[in-house]
Amino acid sequence: MTSREIVVVAEHMGGELSDITLEMLACSRELTHSVGWHVTCLILTDDPKPFEALPLASDRTIVVQDPALGSFNPLASARVLQHVLKDLSPRLVLLGNTGVGMDLAGLLSYRLGAPVISGCARIRTEGERIVFTSRLCGGKLLAQREVQSGLAIALLMPGSFHRESGMQDQVPSAEVRRSPESLEALPVRFVELVEPKTEDVDVRKVPILVAAGRGIQSKENLEGVETLAKELRGAVCATRPVVDQGWLPRSRQVGRSGMIVKPRLYLALGVSGAPEHVEGMKDSELIVAVNTDPEAPVFDVAHYGATVDVLELVPILTEKIRTLRGG
Amino acid sequence: MKIAAILRQVPDVVEELVIADDGRSLAEDEVMYVTNEADEHALEQALILKGRHGATVTAVSVGGDEARDALATAVAKGADEAVYVPVPFGDRGDNHRLAAHLAPAMKEGGYDLVLTGFWSADQLDAGLAGLLAAHLSLPYVGGLVSVAVDASTKKATVRKEFPGGRVGVMELDLPALLGIQSAEQPPRYAPVSKVMQAKRTLQAKELGGSFPKEDGVRIEKLLKSDPAVRAEMLPGDAKAVADQIVRLLRERGIV
Repeated sequence: MTSREIVVVAEHMGGELSDITLEMLACSRELTHSVGWHVTCLILTDDPKPFEALPLASDRTIVVQDPALGSFNPLASARVLQHVLKDLSPRLVLLGNTGVGMDLAGLLSYRLGAPVISGCARIRTEGERIVFTSRLCGGKLLAQREVQSGLAIALLMPGSFHRESGMQDQVPSAEVRRSPESLEALPVRFVELVEPKTEDVDVRKVPILVAAGRGIQSKENLEGVETLAKELRGAVCATRPVVDQGWLPRSRQVGRSGMIVKPRLYLALGVSGAPEHVEGMKDSELIVAVNTDPEAPVFDVAHYGATVDVLELVPILTEKIRTLRGG
Repeated sequence: MKIAAILRQVPDVVEELVIADDGRSLAEDEVMYVTNEADEHALEQALILKGRHGATVTAVSVGGDEARDALATAVAKGADEAVYVPVPFGDRGDNHRLAAHLAPAMKEGGYDLVLTGFWSADQLDAGLAGLLAAHLSLPYVGGLVSVAVDASTKKATVRKEFPGGRVGVMELDLPALLGIQSAEQPPRYAPVSKVMQAKRTLQAKELGGSFPKEDGVRIEKLLKSDPAVRAEMLPGDAKAVADQIVRLLRERGIV
């Protein structure tokens, strides 16, 4: 009989489950509306305590404990998962489309002989088939793919499901296991976790953010954006490419690996809206996006949009706000 | 020390993407190519390591004819050797098959480090570096923003990004596969004259053998992103748009 088991591989840091874990559970819950599916939340850690009594929206929690699982190590995790997943023989393994899940997917796929579907925004079942809708090309395209039978590994895009639906009123049964394999003397070792330095502005605390994307084109053009942000009594943040160019410090980066912000206003200038960036700003109260490409995915998340040239708009908008403020 | 950097040619997502008549692929004639952004960073990181340790850098470029141009650029930037890996248009984006195709050459090359982008724009499955590591049974970590090598102990110390701006420092035994998120500095610029010269004198080895044909998960349907949830667009020129933005901000008491 075809397996109807879904395994969610949890991500956590500092004894707390990450949002993506709850989002993956929410995704599983939606999938298991059809009868007979069973969801396991699998947590790899050195200390099971914080995870044993959580009201997760799963049928059971399995915690695998080993001192080597205290910090993320792709090799250690993949070794454990390989054994546990063979034992559970699920139909679907959910990983986050994150730095952690993306590290595990290839290793697991190779060892378990299972296909990987990355960038999943939606997953549904059609009879025995599982149908995946995933984002490609910076979020500009959606690809629909199917797995007819056998194990599939899916990487779920953060922000695709509500984290709240990953919890329920009762605590599922929990089981703690030892690592099925020795995790000593691995050729990959975790040394330390470094917390971010907030160099000048903490963009998470600023209610008005003007975001500079690649469309800003040069460091010189950032001056105008800074002036606009000043007139708005806000601060400038940026997408990864702008920070990678060294135009702004890393502490200003908004997105999956940067800061998650929820300001009153997010004015996105020359931002394409790649999924990695959208994850960090989609919950802003008001998003206004300006990009010359009418198909830019940023317009999928913005409340208001315009396709004029940002370099032309910035000085005009700055002047209008200055006039309004009587400056 | 020997380092390989794998560069994939992918559709430039800044350009318009046209879906082919079959409804499941991009129209080949309409695609504009760029080197995958994270792969550019992988090459840059390799060149940074070359500067520090005098390593030999081999650029491995995957794609159609445009992949040869990328090799010329890589050589102009400082790569020592060039390998061209032709991959048919319909087979791109499938890292499982690409890893199977590249693995023997990566093994034969005897590289201490193989670097490639943590992700690619057209990626359908898992990351290339992790899959290659699995094929070659070598250590792997991805999502990296810096790589330091101790040639005497044959170890690499890498920095991996975690959510919220955190960074994990990890150590790997060499040889190893690394998935680069961004290099320690922006990818360097190669002057046009140097690229042109490299193009004229380029001696790229071509990776032979046919691309593996095994069945992956194929795309059933390719769509533009959902127009139903799009923003309300503000019409007019820059001045008109500025007026409307100011009105929106005033209505909400932001200015």
